[in-house]
Amino acid sequence: MILAVDSSAVAASAALVKDGKTLGEFYCNNGLTHSQTLMPMIDGLLKCTRVPVEKVDLLAVSAGPGSFTGIRIGVASVKGLAMPGNKPCVGVSTLEAIAQNLSHLTGTACAVMDARCGQVYNAVFSLNGKSVERLTPDRAISIENLAEECKKYANPLFLVGDGAKLCYNKTGFEALGTLLPPEILLFQRAWGVARAAEAAYRRGEAVSPAALMPIYLRPAQAERSLKRKQ
Amino acid sequence: MREFVTQSPEETEALGEKIAKKLNGGEVLALFGEMGAGKTALTRGIARGLGVESGVSSPTFALVHEYRGRLPVYHFDMYRIEGWADLYSTGFFDYLGSGGVLIVEWSENIENALPEDAVRIHLRQGETENQRILTLEGMDL
Repeated sequence: MILAVDSSAVAASAALVKDGKTLGEFYCNNGLTHSQTLMPMIDGLLKCTRVPVEKVDLLAVSAGPGSFTGIRIGVASVKGLAMPGNKPCVGVSTLEAIAQNLSHLTGTACAVMDARCGQVYNAVFSLNGKSVERLTPDRAISIENLAEECKKYANPLFLVGDGAKLCYNKTGFEALGTLLPPEILLFQRAWGVARAAEAAYRRGEAVSPAALMPIYLRPAQAERSLKRKQ
Repeated sequence: MREFVTQSPEETEALGEKIAKKLNGGEVLALFGEMGAGKTALTRGIARGLGVESGVSSPTFALVHEYRGRLPVYHFDMYRIEGWADLYSTGFFDYLGSGGVLIVEWSENIENALPEDAVRIHLRQGETENQRILTLEGMDL
């Protein structure tokens, strides 16, 4: 039984997934802050599915990239839920969770989140009709460079994520004839977090609640580091 | 360097009140420690010691909270500061010369920007859930 949470961008969601079956999922995109919506959604989800939190085997959260405050709220919430029972946790890449939306397709998924200033958070995945296979690490990359790189990936190439429309309308991508999935498959959802977490768990990537950490993609620092090197 | 062991958030706050008695303004108190280490509890105590009775919370989202007590207190949270430009935009350098007391949570993130005479306070969990071990450098208590 996996309880998965996503609050990495403007929408927030929570899902309960057992053996690949979604027992319940809540999704809220109403502009309220995650600190107001996330816990009531999780509470409601557990109540509606009549699953006590003790029955949850694994907690999952999109740990980044994404909104700074959103990710902290998601990770902190999951830590709090997991700590009493010392349950295993998985922090998954938000980009990997997004790519799960297209796992039924064949081709390439280019997951993109708007990182502002002409940059996107991105990872590229190969789609084989059943699962997604990572082709690049999560990174921050300019839209131009990404479009250039995308020439080498197998068609059809799907743009997915909250930066998908942004890229789709850029010249470099227009030339590639990329595709946009329907709105319902465009954004990260807790269901995808659960699915990515299941794969991560099988790879042995679960950690203790205390070890669960947000993953921030930081821009390269050219100047003297502000942080003292350890 | 001196080490203190507290057994509860209340004791951590009480240590903060003691620290406050030594402050004259212009100090930078650099706090180091993970989430839950007691940085905000210590800050609450310091603020109370300076006559700030309520409203002290971690300025994670605002980056800086200002309190008015015997001395002005500027409570920073550097958790999300990633570079010099970020730090600059918090007003940190302006506050440094203001004569108030700067309390800087997550000083790990701006260590190269701390003044040389900053009071360094490291906090970490002890052997029990509520026990905290604090080390104080740069100030006599």
